[in-house]
Amino acid sequence: MEKSSFAVEDMQNVQINIGEIVKEVEEWDQPMGPFPTPSIATLREWDFKLLNRYKVFYAPICDRCTLCTYGPCDLTGDKRGACGLDQAAQQGRIVLLAVLMGCTAHCAHGRHLYHWTLDKFGDLPFEMGDEILVDAPLTRTVTGMKPKTLKEFGPVLSYIEEEVAQLLACTHVGQEGSYMDFESKALHAGMLDSLGKEVSDMIQIVAYDMPRGDADAPLVECGMGTLDKDKAILITYGHNLAGSAEAMFYTEDNNLWGQVDIGGVCCTAIDNTRIGEGLGYPKEISEKYKDVGTKGKVAGAMGWWRKMVRAGVMDCVMVDEQCVYTDALQECSARKVPLIATNEKIMLGLPDRTNDPVDEIVDDLVNFRIPGVAIIDPIKAGEVGVRTAIGVKPNRADVRDNIFITEDEFKKYAESCTYCHSCQFVCPPHIKIGDVVQAAAEGNLEPLSSTYEICVGCRRCEQVCPQDIPILSLYAYANQEYIANHKFKMRAGRGPVKDTEIRRVGAPLVLGTIPGVIAIIGCANYPNGTKECYDIAREFVDRGYIVTTTGCMAMDMSLYTDEEGKTIWEQFPGGFDGRNICNIGSCVSNAHIHGAAIKVATIFAGRNERANYDDIADYVLSKVGACGVAWGAMSQKAASIATGFNRLGVPAVVEPHGVMYRRAFLGRTDKKEDWEVIDARDGSRVYCEPAPEHLLYVAESVEECLLMMAKLCFRPSDNNTGRMIKLTHYCDICMKYFGCMPPDWPLYVRHASELPLKWKEDMMKELEEKYGWEIDWKRKAIVVPEPGSDKPGPIRKMDVSFDPTNIERKIRVKK
Amino acid sequence: MAVDTTKNAVPFEMAQIPGPEMAKTYNTKVIGSIIKKAKRPLLVVGAELFEDPVMFDKAIEIGKTGVPIAATAHTIKGFIERGYTDNVTMIGLHPLTNYLRFKDWEGLDGEGHYDEVIFMGIFYKFASAMFSALKNFNRDIKRVSIDRYYHVNANMTFGNLAFDQDAYHEAVDEVIAILKK
Repeated sequence: MEKSSFAVEDMQNVQINIGEIVKEVEEWDQPMGPFPTPSIATLREWDFKLLNRYKVFYAPICDRCTLCTYGPCDLTGDKRGACGLDQAAQQGRIVLLAVLMGCTAHCAHGRHLYHWTLDKFGDLPFEMGDEILVDAPLTRTVTGMKPKTLKEFGPVLSYIEEEVAQLLACTHVGQEGSYMDFESKALHAGMLDSLGKEVSDMIQIVAYDMPRGDADAPLVECGMGTLDKDKAILITYGHNLAGSAEAMFYTEDNNLWGQVDIGGVCCTAIDNTRIGEGLGYPKEISEKYKDVGTKGKVAGAMGWWRKMVRAGVMDCVMVDEQCVYTDALQECSARKVPLIATNEKIMLGLPDRTNDPVDEIVDDLVNFRIPGVAIIDPIKAGEVGVRTAIGVKPNRADVRDNIFITEDEFKKYAESCTYCHSCQFVCPPHIKIGDVVQAAAEGNLEPLSSTYEICVGCRRCEQVCPQDIPILSLYAYANQEYIANHKFKMRAGRGPVKDTEIRRVGAPLVLGTIPGVIAIIGCANYPNGTKECYDIAREFVDRGYIVTTTGCMAMDMSLYTDEEGKTIWEQFPGGFDGRNICNIGSCVSNAHIHGAAIKVATIFAGRNERANYDDIADYVLSKVGACGVAWGAMSQKAASIATGFNRLGVPAVVEPHGVMYRRAFLGRTDKKEDWEVIDARDGSRVYCEPAPEHLLYVAESVEECLLMMAKLCFRPSDNNTGRMIKLTHYCDICMKYFGCMPPDWPLYVRHASELPLKWKEDMMKELEEKYGWEIDWKRKAIVVPEPGSDKPGPIRKMDVSFDPTNIERKIRVKK
Repeated sequence: MAVDTTKNAVPFEMAQIPGPEMAKTYNTKVIGSIIKKAKRPLLVVGAELFEDPVMFDKAIEIGKTGVPIAATAHTIKGFIERGYTDNVTMIGLHPLTNYLRFKDWEGLDGEGHYDEVIFMGIFYKFASAMFSALKNFNRDIKRVSIDRYYHVNANMTFGNLAFDQDAYHEAVDEVIAILKK
């Protein structure tokens, strides 16, 4: 609304309310798209298009519902609960709840940072540098807003919060009753999750001057062995850097780096190591704390937490929010490690000492008068953390110097094993713990070493052991050398993908000559240790894919080196390009992977992103060969992240424990009609190859994961060369790990030039002999049957100008 | 003397207790007979066969009795290495179970749906969830486990034999012997 005036005359009993001022006059050349701030049902039509093609598949973990006083109700098979809900809808309800949990974790993280950074820094201009002009792609696409300052992200957060409240209400008894609508709502929550992540990361990037798309972000130290035991060690654990950053600032201000090491666990580690490495603004950070992030260390991913506890790599712990083991206080106090809770979301029953003087709190903690405190003031918490770590170090020397069990204790425990197998019964990755402990009793520590990385530290084995053997302590004892040498390098989180990078890779990605974007996200707990996430990354980066990663995956893949002792970050550059590997950042930075896909549509293809979500998602689904993998995901946030990717048209693969998420989206290649798309040029309907075949898929082994990810990068828009490259990788991975060609390769062949050169002759023979396709051997060409013919052959003819879409309004000229 | 496959009916991961309908354990004679009587059985094998390779040979023996095999994950490799691929089809466990739950599916060979699936050598949690999908969404298919775990979401299963490999091998051999009769 432009400035104007109006007169109020001769009116009685009239109340004028002026709500929010909407800035209509703004510097944005895009008109408002069709769906600004979509509510629950706005994008339902898009969701149903996805859900009709990618069938909702449920694998209930619990057959009952126990959520209301009618229950427990048995929903097995075709039964319905007393409220009328059937099993599928109940599963959809649980899925929606899980996705909402994840979504709110990210969004609430953003809301906390929003208030905190405004308090600390005041409002700051939202500037991402000259090479990022499409600066908040999700915010623009979902809401139609274009924030210019941090404060202008407030309405975006408010929008998410309102939608979350509406969605959560739908899970109450007597509300939604259709599994399809529950899934549409879950997709909505997944989209909100991606938006909340973007807001969170944009706020912290700007406020803490983190890298803004820096392919050369610094290499930082990673691993338990990097923490210097000659110093006091402060561990900051969780996802929200507010308190942890203040600890680093306090250390810098007081020149204490010689006395304290600050190591992060989980995403706080990633975000610690990004501080002050950006473009030099805001000045408050760049002048005082430039590159301070490089002084922080990555202690490890969250799956290493209990191993770190048993390895004694901490003198004091600060926890903030998300993915914190909720028995951290018990674990710490048993080892005289004071714990400081710094965020209202996790207070662990501790006394709130926010308003007490720092000296008094530190004195109480270093003298063990209390095991921990809550301090809901990041600045005070940071100071207390550092001073407590330094002060408590000599006081806990007895524990610090004797953290590992003794040789005699080790022998006694190992020999007390009765080989009852209770431990193995409950071990998530199926470690044969009984055999491991028996070998230890006989003096063979190798099994304890070789399974150390596979152990997820859940402590279920210790809890069921009738002999009370502290199995994790046996692991720590046997791996002391490993722990000491746990020293690696990780590239600090680089932040968003630059517009200039998208301009470079846009065409090759859409045409398929860069075979795909592989997004390796989430935790790396299962099923065979953290090594497999490195193997996945290495396989695809070697093959020329663009490999991106975030969070615990980025940390865990840092733990492996090549023959020359180089980590993956030292082997490959960090750009958004083929044969590169990007550490995008922490969990909330996953939003930039969505952002990159959106930017391909808007920067490369010139689509308006503003309030135009379904159009952009349709483009991504049809034309951007990207696939996510969560190989070891643990939390509900992984559910919301994957669901957010899915609504945007990006498929994801998860590992076998991912069945706990209960729901998948799987295509049926035997249903030709499911794969009909519209040619936007004239509105004609075209049967397409199933590309991508699935949206959410559980793979049983890493080999299957690799194969499926290569397959899920196929897109209808691939040109001949692009399809040939993708098919080559698909077939080559199958030959390498399965010993044969994938049985469905003919589905993806439209033209002889798309056949991998290595096997071209044999494949043409097979097409002719086994599948009955007509081959013109003189021209070495596949003869495509006329439309409507019953003759076997390719699903469709290759057409370079084919413009696939699933949305009717994208038809340019109706036939 | 036959292996007692009816004892140890405890979910392999102890908290895996889905609800009122829980699998029953049966001896090898009954399970063998049930497989033999099936009109369209399908043996589904998974990547745990690689951890106990002799199980590939046992799967092949079952295949040779006419039961088609779905080789999930990358298990097709084990069959290729042993020169047996006659009635073995490579397919992921997740899409396979998705097809199985639809009554209009025509089967891996296009010859029609299956009336019984037999799981063997699949990661416990994954197999359990796939049994659960069939238990809830296509109850026309009988769910049989001849794996080394008590499978709570199956119709018929062995009790836990996970810690006695010899007994487990023997139990599978007994089932095979019945199929060969």
